[in-house]
Amino acid sequence: MPFEDPSTTPETTNTEATLKIPFESVRHAEIAYRVLKVDEEPRRNFVKKEIVLKEATLEVHFVANQVKNLRTAITSFFENLLLCRETINNFDLENARTLTGSNTA
Amino acid sequence: MVCSLGIEGSANKIGIGIIRDGEVLANVRKTYITPPGEGFLPKETAKHHRDQIIGLVKAALKEAKIDSHELDVICYTKGPGMAPPLMVGAIVARTLSLLWEKPLLGVNHCIGHIEMGRQITNAKNPIVLYVSGGNTQVIAYSNKRYRIFGETIDIAVGNCLDRFARIIKLSNDPSPGYNIEQLAKEGKQFVKLPYVVKGMDVSFSGLLSHIEEIADPSKRRNKRKKAEDAEEPEYTKADLCYSLQETIFAMLVEITERAMAHCESNEVLIVGGVGCNERLQEMMRIMCEERGGKLFATDERYCIDNGLMIAHAGAEMFKSGTRMDFEDSFVTQRYRTDEVLVTWRDD
Repeated sequence: MPFEDPSTTPETTNTEATLKIPFESVRHAEIAYRVLKVDEEPRRNFVKKEIVLKEATLEVHFVANQVKNLRTAITSFFENLLLCRETINNFDLENARTLTGSNTA
Repeated sequence: MVCSLGIEGSANKIGIGIIRDGEVLANVRKTYITPPGEGFLPKETAKHHRDQIIGLVKAALKEAKIDSHELDVICYTKGPGMAPPLMVGAIVARTLSLLWEKPLLGVNHCIGHIEMGRQITNAKNPIVLYVSGGNTQVIAYSNKRYRIFGETIDIAVGNCLDRFARIIKLSNDPSPGYNIEQLAKEGKQFVKLPYVVKGMDVSFSGLLSHIEEIADPSKRRNKRKKAEDAEEPEYTKADLCYSLQETIFAMLVEITERAMAHCESNEVLIVGGVGCNERLQEMMRIMCEERGGKLFATDERYCIDNGLMIAHAGAEMFKSGTRMDFEDSFVTQRYRTDEVLVTWRDD
């Protein structure tokens, strides 16, 4: 799993992180992008999340007021991402033959 | 012809159902069962659902003997319920919708129960008693809405039963309510418990605290300490289960009867997880027969949360022209029964 170190900026009080997640195809990346974009962060979480689609890669940028909240947001994002990916791997008709089982990410 | 796949995961059950024009093709379900004395928590429940959902979708397609091409719409529970488990269903539904290029529809969980009950029993326009672990509502249809006539003002009836089962350490397998129902059959003494009906509404939390004090005297608060020498009768767990069921079901029958009188209806439909309790059905049937009415109820396959009810309610919505933008496929913990415009009924 490509996971860039959270690039913290000491000048500000905010903690930030950017994730770059590559997919096998642009189509899969687009599906994940649309699926994951629907949900907004809970208001009390004080985390801003921005998802950008770049070719076959999802870039997700998080800005949080506290490291703890950042961790929560990233954890829940990963849970959803992995589930979405597992669904794609298991039920995509186009690559049903080439991909096997529930092996994800 | 509408062929619909439904995903339900608002509480501790995760279920997938497939229905084609009212014909049940598949209805598979897994329940997250916690050890005795423990309830299910959102995070752990969501993990259970994540681990099960892919296998269940496969099992449902296999059972239905259909291919994804044959589906017309993918439905999921939008709410009400616990957010983390709801999200699991929504994520998979969204992904399937895009993968298979099928429209996506969010369904109100309560509406799912009502429509499934009507479909299975053929009840036309019943007063609906919706009783489950999270909801307790008396509902009547009027002018394109399912209107809530009465409901609980604190905890749901199923929550009251579940929590009592935890207090006396009953097993959660297959469900705490089922085990209370079985144990209640051995009850001999009736313990008087608070009977709380307020107009059309009911309340169970005071009743639960009361019976908790009887079941576990160490929890008793000092303010109501009884004299040391006062003889207290010994009640068994069975006596308490029996008394609890009799009291809370009597409350439910009372508000249902009042709704029937008010709406001049002679049909009652019981839906929701508590609805498969045979003692509740028996008490309700007696009341209905005394009024010259009829009771409709279903068994655990359709009463307890299931994907089929979401598939069916979604199919009804889809047929009547309801569509949803993909961007609106979020979930919501609060979603009242009367928020939904019932486009599929003409009466």
